[in-house]
Amino acid sequence: MKWLDQLVEGSARSLAKRTSRRSMVGYLGALLVGATAAPLLPVARGATPDPKKPDPKAKKTDDPASCDYWRHCAIDGYLCGCCGGTQDTCPPGTQMSAVTWVGTCHNPLDGKDYVISYNDCCGKATCGRCMCNRNERDTPLYIPFQSNDYNWCSGNGTANVPYHCSTARIVSAAR
Amino acid sequence: MSKVGMLLLACLAATSASAADVPNVVTLPQPTPAHWIWVNDFVFPHMVSGKAMLVDGDAGRFVGELDTGFGSMRVVPSLDGRVIYSPETYFSRGSRGERTDVISLYDPAHLSFISEIRIPPKRSSNLPMMANAQLTDDGRFLVVYNFNPGQSMTVVDTQTRKFVGEVETPGCALIYPTGNRSFFSVCGDGALLNTVLDDTGKVKSSDRTRPLFDVEHDPVTEKAVRVGDTWYFVSFGGTMYPVKADKGSLTLQPTWSLLSEQEKAAKWRPGGLQQLAVHGSSNRLYSIMHQGDLFTHKDPGRDVWVYDLNQRARVQKISMQHDSGSIQVSRDAHPLLFSIFIESNVLDIYDATSGKFLRSVTDIGTTPTVLVSP
Repeated sequence: MKWLDQLVEGSARSLAKRTSRRSMVGYLGALLVGATAAPLLPVARGATPDPKKPDPKAKKTDDPASCDYWRHCAIDGYLCGCCGGTQDTCPPGTQMSAVTWVGTCHNPLDGKDYVISYNDCCGKATCGRCMCNRNERDTPLYIPFQSNDYNWCSGNGTANVPYHCSTARIVSAAR
Repeated sequence: MSKVGMLLLACLAATSASAADVPNVVTLPQPTPAHWIWVNDFVFPHMVSGKAMLVDGDAGRFVGELDTGFGSMRVVPSLDGRVIYSPETYFSRGSRGERTDVISLYDPAHLSFISEIRIPPKRSSNLPMMANAQLTDDGRFLVVYNFNPGQSMTVVDTQTRKFVGEVETPGCALIYPTGNRSFFSVCGDGALLNTVLDDTGKVKSSDRTRPLFDVEHDPVTEKAVRVGDTWYFVSFGGTMYPVKADKGSLTLQPTWSLLSEQEKAAKWRPGGLQQLAVHGSSNRLYSIMHQGDLFTHKDPGRDVWVYDLNQRARVQKISMQHDSGSIQVSRDAHPLLFSIFIESNVLDIYDATSGKFLRSVTDIGTTPTVLVSP
């Protein structure tokens, strides 16, 4: 498939087997851009490495353009780092969604968990580069603040516009 | 005679030897045949131009399409088959400008636009689900899920073709109809919000059950299917939660597992975007299955397992030709099983009774989502 051809090379996550679409889910208690609120989500309850220890087997997880990048553990969309932005900045001419949802991802390089805010970048047609879908701790749509199937560009008063790509900003270390 | 004149005469002579092509546009048979299927596509790489494609499952033929706007959800055929409803979103300048949400009405015989009903610009944009838009059982009211991030439902009267109003459903999502004037939504704590409308489409009553689902340890997906008065929700781990609507109340029936202990140990689990389908008259349930860990609940499968809902027992396994993420079964007495995957665009068609693979139809859209029977 054309857009799959643009997936980041070397993904060990068999992205072609994923089905959901994108991240950025919100809830009434979701974070505002730049907010330093406490984590809203529980930390991993699935099988994860010992969070206290760095994982020496971790590979390529420090590349923000990779779907395997540790911050992308629950992302679902096009990586802004492939679209003219970075993992925490939006591409030129877009606007960052003011409200979004947060996930908790494990950084195998330092062995710590971090709260990640998956803000969408909005206002242009879909980027179409570096599609990435990972569903760690993803929940159904009826639990919005943990679901990666909503589009936050259309749920925000200041950015009620088309979806372009997704960022993965560190908010804080998870408790 | 000029050279041009001679050329025209030669052309006339040539065409007189066979019937000339008459300019025309195809008209489709009505009602839409049971073995045709709507393949909805939200065209993720180009979300402003979603569409729904109609495919003839018997002939393996692409019949036509509807253009359904930004973040296309799914078409909702009327119960009498005379109209197709489509919740749609548009921006006045393509990818920018004022947002307008509408219910578009289409003529199924010509796949042509009839009219539109303006609705509040808050229709939920999410990975498309059947439960994003549903008709009440008598077809009178069309209910559409809103998320901005406040949660509510837009109610449209299909008889007057007018927007009726909004139903607030704080903390609860999606639409599961249970009668001519009732539907429920699933809430974040696993409870159900039971909404009853009056004959004008306004809220008559709204009651919330106790939590019925274990959202903390093994949540059900929102991709439930219905047979009669029962909605079937399946959990990430393969436990079936039947919810029965009876005399205005919602009750959880005894749960059961799609999986044996050995199959659980081998990490079999249901998955996909539209992971369940049913054939009501034979009481058969179809479930896409794969082997994977927790949080692979959206993965496709190469197996579809078939269950007898009366016996709560598996009766068949179907090996799929390709990865399957969305399935649908036609409603007739000799049903077809349709299968597609959002990251492919090949529609596979099977005999739903025998499981025999019949044919594939290629190049069906870009990111096909849910399959809808006409």
